[in-house]
Amino acid sequence: MDCGQCTGNCHPPGLWSRLFGQPSHPPLAFLERTKRVALVGCPNVGKSLLFNALTQSYATVSNYPGTTVEVTEGQLQVDDWQVTLIDTPGTYSLMPVTEEEAVTRTLLLTSALDLVLHVVDAKNLGRMLPMTLQLIEANVPTILVMNMVDEAARLGLSVKADVIAARLGIPVVTTSATRHQGIAELIHAITRHVTAHHLSPTH
Amino acid sequence: MSQPITYPQPIETAIAQIEALLNHQHELALAQLYPLSPRSLALLLLQRDQDMWDHARRHEAEFAAIETVVTTTQQTLAEPVSVSIAQARHQFAQTLELEGLDSEQMVNQVWSDRLHHITVHPMTGFPILLAILYFGIYKFVGEFGAGTMVDAIESFFEANINPWVNGIVVAIVPWPVLQNLFANDYGIITLGLRYAIAIVLPVVSTYFLVFSFLEDSGYLPRLSLMLDQLFKAIGLSGRAVIPMVLGLGCDTMATMVTRTLETQRERILATFLLALVVPCAAQWGVILGLLAQRPAALALWASVILGIFFLVGGLASRIFPNDTSSFYMDIPPLRLPHLRNILTKTYMRMQWYFWEIIPLFIWASVFIWIGQLTGLFDWIIQRLEPMTTWLGLPTSTAPIFLYGFFRRDYGAAGLFDLQQGNSLTGNQLVVAAVVLTLFLPCIAQLQILIKEQGYKMAIAMVAFIIPFSFGVGILLNSVLNLLHIVV
Repeated sequence: MDCGQCTGNCHPPGLWSRLFGQPSHPPLAFLERTKRVALVGCPNVGKSLLFNALTQSYATVSNYPGTTVEVTEGQLQVDDWQVTLIDTPGTYSLMPVTEEEAVTRTLLLTSALDLVLHVVDAKNLGRMLPMTLQLIEANVPTILVMNMVDEAARLGLSVKADVIAARLGIPVVTTSATRHQGIAELIHAITRHVTAHHLSPTH
Repeated sequence: MSQPITYPQPIETAIAQIEALLNHQHELALAQLYPLSPRSLALLLLQRDQDMWDHARRHEAEFAAIETVVTTTQQTLAEPVSVSIAQARHQFAQTLELEGLDSEQMVNQVWSDRLHHITVHPMTGFPILLAILYFGIYKFVGEFGAGTMVDAIESFFEANINPWVNGIVVAIVPWPVLQNLFANDYGIITLGLRYAIAIVLPVVSTYFLVFSFLEDSGYLPRLSLMLDQLFKAIGLSGRAVIPMVLGLGCDTMATMVTRTLETQRERILATFLLALVVPCAAQWGVILGLLAQRPAALALWASVILGIFFLVGGLASRIFPNDTSSFYMDIPPLRLPHLRNILTKTYMRMQWYFWEIIPLFIWASVFIWIGQLTGLFDWIIQRLEPMTTWLGLPTSTAPIFLYGFFRRDYGAAGLFDLQQGNSLTGNQLVVAAVVLTLFLPCIAQLQILIKEQGYKMAIAMVAFIIPFSFGVGILLNSVLNLLHIVV
């Protein structure tokens, strides 16, 4: 069995073969092991904080709209999969107004993304769902991440994730990124998507 | 995938028609180029999305037919197509919000509402701003960071590390020329690292701590909201407040954030003001530390800088006519920040800052060493000396402006070092602080400036900033002398 076809942990080829050998990986086998997942959403909903929690790295975070103006990439391992997580500048819609929003649109339109995590503020669901609708319309594989559920709870709002998931037809996860709540569930949802789409031959 | 949302009938018909007209074979056709569903492409075309429309015009075989569909659809609707689409989405979102969120009890929001109004209303907001500046910046950063902490670390350096380094270097390296690279007056360790660790580190760490707290609390957007009215009064767009406030932390980061501004004109203006007048954390921390003992000098420095800010901002916005873009911003809730998040953030900022400046401080020491070896350093300082005379400064301040070329905070640290020997009067301190604040941005900011605005614009700004900063210094000095003002 060739390297890259095994189901166990992959041993990377040695330095010698990497420098001088013929490429032992058929390009596709290599691609199948990596997935690209992007965090998108309005400014100041907690994308960067989720990015940090998921990748255990650090992107600047602030309670201030517009802090992220460029795309940041980080790595995350789910099962055997290497997931490249992409943090994006906040955007309200697929039709951008400012240059930072255009960065996110370009990413959505031009790079092959396997999954989009649409992060919304659970307290302002009504204002943010239109973007979710646009993603679903565009046939972009999307998970809706309802962040700040702790603040919503303090306002007396409780989220019925199953109702929203049923109406939209996509997975919904609730999180509170500042308190590190719901991160495990989110990773689980990403894993499910990544492995499910590997099995389905249509993707 | 089933569609959760159905648009009004004329739009659904148009979507179906455009979907059918879209080309799927041509490699530059929209459907081939973009990973979007035909439905989504049709919707973007219906809303005449700029990029999609231009692209379709050039590469879609059936563009004329698509255009006809879009035009006729518009004629059947009372409101613009894009409004109709947005309304349908909005309605769906509102319904789903009602179904998907349970509002169990009405929670009393009066308290946080009141706090919000207190922070944004000018009558209460300005006193709050002054209190934050006084306790957070003046007391904590200025007196504690730039005073107590700098004194402690500086004297530790002077008493222990410098003699020790000088001794070791003399013992290992036999040539005085090479000794000077590492030790003595301008050495990498005795000057470069000492400036970085003893002067800049305490200032920056205390400042970043305060700034991180303010940032996480949600106070900064409220500050922008309050200052918005003030900015509008002098003809600057309110949106420009955001990068200005961020610039008080780090001008380099703020220059990148000017991308959130809508027009190129606003971006150039904001970038220029950041490069010229807005002092970054290290700069105004050190300057506060310098002037903390002389409140009159501090007030004079602050009013000169603020005056130039409003004057230059106001003039520039009159030269380039203004299409006042409306200021809209999400105001996040006021939050009590989590200590762990603030500490992580402060730590990450410091780490980033240090990797950025330590190499520069070391390079600056190396350049000064080479400059001294070749006599270039003395030559430049001789050229600068008449300038320092015009500024009313002792010639010993000339090297500080040379440091300032490398980094403004390096220059400020040099000024601080000089002041430890009490060799400057209040007037001289103010003049030097004003010139250094207006002087060229640091190398990192210059790089970002070039990246964002191009070489031409960057050179134009630099060509203005250098003579302007010295000119203001000279003017300030003559005015103080003429009026016999001593601070």
